Amino acid sequence: MSHPSKVLLDIQQLSVAVSGTQSTIPLVHNVSLQINSGETLAVVGESGSGKTLTFLAALGIAPAGVKVTSGEVLFEGDDLTKLNPNALRSKRGTAISMVFQDPLSALNPVFSIGTQIIEVLRAHLPLTKAQARARAIELLERVHIPDPHRRIDDYPHQFSGGMRQRALIAMAIALEPRVLIADEPTTALDVTVQAQVLELLSQLREETGMALVLITHDLGLVARHADRVAVFYAGRIVEQASVQALFHEPRHPYTVSLFRTIPRLDSPTNIALTPIVGQPPNLAKLPAGCPFAPRCYLAKSDCGSIQTKLIDTTNHEHLSACQHWSEVHQEF
Amino acid sequence: MAHLTAAPLLELKNISKTFNGSASWRGRSSNAVQAVDQATLALYPGETLGLVGETGSGKSTLGRIALRLIEPSSGSVMFEGQDITHLSPRLLREKRQRMQMVFQDPYGSLDPRMSVDKLVSEPLVVHNVEYAQRQEKMHAALEQVGLDPALAHRYPHEFSGGQRQRIGIARAMVLDPAFLVLDEPVSALDVSIQAQVLNLLHEIQIRTGVSYLFIAHDLSVVRHISHRVAVMYLGRIVEIGTRDAIYNRPKHPYTVSLLSAVPIPDPVLERARKRIPLIGEIGSANNTPSGCRFHPRCPRAHEVAQQKNIAIQKLGATDIPVLCATQDPALVGSDTEQACACHFPHETF
Amino acid sequence: MTTSLDQQKRDQQERRKATWRRFTSHPSLMIGTVILVLLVAIALAAPWLAPYSPTRTSLINTLQDASWAHPLGTDQFGRDVLSRLIHGTRVSLLVAFWVVTLSLIIGTIVGGIAGFFGGWIDRSINVVNDILMAFPGFLLALAIVATQGSSLESVIIAVSIAYTPRVIAVMRSVALTIRPRPFIEASRSIGMTSTRILLRHVIPNALPPVIVVATLSAASAILAEAGLSFLGLGVRPPIPTWGNIIADGQASITTNPLISISSGLCIAAMVIALNLIGDGLRDALDPQMRRQTAKIL
Repeated sequence: MSHPSKVLLDIQQLSVAVSGTQSTIPLVHNVSLQINSGETLAVVGESGSGKTLTFLAALGIAPAGVKVTSGEVLFEGDDLTKLNPNALRSKRGTAISMVFQDPLSALNPVFSIGTQIIEVLRAHLPLTKAQARARAIELLERVHIPDPHRRIDDYPHQFSGGMRQRALIAMAIALEPRVLIADEPTTALDVTVQAQVLELLSQLREETGMALVLITHDLGLVARHADRVAVFYAGRIVEQASVQALFHEPRHPYTVSLFRTIPRLDSPTNIALTPIVGQPPNLAKLPAGCPFAPRCYLAKSDCGSIQTKLIDTTNHEHLSACQHWSEVHQEF
Repeated sequence: MAHLTAAPLLELKNISKTFNGSASWRGRSSNAVQAVDQATLALYPGETLGLVGETGSGKSTLGRIALRLIEPSSGSVMFEGQDITHLSPRLLREKRQRMQMVFQDPYGSLDPRMSVDKLVSEPLVVHNVEYAQRQEKMHAALEQVGLDPALAHRYPHEFSGGQRQRIGIARAMVLDPAFLVLDEPVSALDVSIQAQVLNLLHEIQIRTGVSYLFIAHDLSVVRHISHRVAVMYLGRIVEIGTRDAIYNRPKHPYTVSLLSAVPIPDPVLERARKRIPLIGEIGSANNTPSGCRFHPRCPRAHEVAQQKNIAIQKLGATDIPVLCATQDPALVGSDTEQACACHFPHETF
Repeated sequence: MTTSLDQQKRDQQERRKATWRRFTSHPSLMIGTVILVLLVAIALAAPWLAPYSPTRTSLINTLQDASWAHPLGTDQFGRDVLSRLIHGTRVSLLVAFWVVTLSLIIGTIVGGIAGFFGGWIDRSINVVNDILMAFPGFLLALAIVATQGSSLESVIIAVSIAYTPRVIAVMRSVALTIRPRPFIEASRSIGMTSTRILLRHVIPNALPPVIVVATLSAASAILAEAGLSFLGLGVRPPIPTWGNIIADGQASITTNPLISISSGLCIAAMVIALNLIGDGLRDALDPQMRRQTAKIL
């Protein structure tokens, strides 16, 4: 890495809740994450785990009714949760950018790709139309879209899924953000295209020193591209470690259960998958104590009563929310 | 256990399907999309045949043609030894009892306005099963998928995604069919629930001997549940064989590339693996290349062209074998062991 | 088995409570319903509520101003206007009821067939429907009454026919959106016939927006009936309708404007009530609202 690493985005004890019809439901609970320049942080979790909402709320683009209830999001000296909407908007897209899951719905079908990129550029930079167009073509080249001079005037439906995602990435990096958040960027794509898109993101990260946050549920992608990993469950972080430490020495039963439940190309096929028993957590009715306890193979009598918090197991490098973390073993 | 020596349950012979156009061997209109081209496969009793492919491969179309939910443009569908390609709607409806489908979307594939008990008993009503038996079978189907029949009066939106998928499976199994076509049955589910549903499907197969045509894009999932696997590209079956043959000794360059692109959840192993990238993007189905439809993207074509004694021609800036550019390779081999449609398949491992 | 019945009862109670809450939390729906219920009560109680018979003429009492005996005065035949107004509620409600019923029945079936089966069936239905919709509803009703003669029945039929095409059009577009949904394909794979799919799956799912359109059509239909009666082409005297009361009130508009104003207000009240209900139903029946929050997590 040619760029010295520093903390770009510092999320401190962030809590987010939605006002339901009868009460407030906590969706994210005391989440702390540091995103460092030049590194890829993978954020892993299933639907409802809060992994996407954390970042939507941090950037001020959470859906209606969803609000930050406590915590801070520090970025370049400002607390994003306290900024007024205009200031926040100017940070979005410029300093911190987000790429969403489904390229087809994230792009406006009635405007050409070029128009949409140019719109982003001219909204934040004092460029003439000609200058913006030249920049847009440059950006398309950078994301390896072939024949950019011609394709810049094409409409989203004329692009394939992989190219649309690249176009979105082009829009996201147009203003040279220091943090790029990619929310399930490849779920809607074929596996061969997935690999290409992620290579592109890694390459961009290398070139610019920006931080990449990869929100995903695919552990294979995490293994290949991440430097550090944070695992989410029921709105909180249950484990956080370097990618090697997480995969070779997981310290939370949920992480272990995830490994056991996913089919892999290299595992013996005569062993049945070990499903995680029970149902995904209902955030409106979480049990007391550890939220994973009802489904945990290691659950003990005190797991239902003690409030969990992240425990530092090795020198700030490996955090686990399981108080019995030392007993978590990994068998393959 | 799969009985590969018994007569096949389902046979698709030379199935082609063109949308918005005429049949495959005549001239096509410019809007025509050839979704499936001369696909032949057989499904045996008690086995799971995995059908994998990416966008535009035609796997979903082929699955639906097997049930005649989509009519083939040409070719024939044989079920239990009988040609059902041109069966009348009334006779086809009777056959439908023996072949059912499970869909991808657990949220959309159940009518939101019907309670679960009505949904699961609907097939029984349609096929005139007596009332007394209906309740019994409906309960049995729900229990078989691990759902409490006492909750059957509830509506789909009151259940989770995994549970809804189970409801879909219960509905498909209630008539005790001989085979199921499953179109991406777990891809919309959370990973922790996928395993539950996959194990359930496996259990059901062992208990009832039902065959599965398992259509999916996730190669790891397919590997886990299939006995045999067929790989499709742009409407063609490019390789078919036993699971171990396909995953451990793939012959077709597309299969090799596909497998190398699937990430393994192990950072050390994964970062040491070499990816074999394909050139460019997947072609479009309304403009298939001449010769082998994979040749513009095939890394092996480039490799082989470097060898001596191979007739070559230009493709853009590079050389590729003439054979690849001009002749469409046929599927060579036994489909119950390993068959591959390539002029220069990978051989040694 | 007992547990399942208990569970069922509990679930049904919960569901009823939730539905009740959803409907009562809409102010416009509630206001509209209250007004409508009031009008229905008045119509039902008309014989007892009205101080006089609506058709009782009195040659000595013609064109009286408002008084204690006749709060709204009398018309040119000496009939008590208030009593006529009260009885007129019946006609308007009858029109509303029949328009909603007929347009719903015909509209869902015809629109459903067009949208679901497509092809030449759809095209032929569309051609006819588009032509009908090109005419303003009022003119269409007028044309039908002109050929059929004016009586209560023909007015109701005319008005129902005039406002059915838009229900057909809405039902057709909703059916078009339902047709590609996975559960329809699932029904086909079970072996259901198209007719059965249409009746059991398409129509029940299409009803919410169609009900809204039918309700709003009823409002327009009442205005059309009033218009027809005002022109003398609608319901014939002596049967009182709000429309012909306005017509009767025209002659005495300078001396006793109350006649026309009061019947106009009644029409307005009913139309407003139906519009509020239609709008409220649109929101209350919209399942989209419920599912939004679930997806973002």
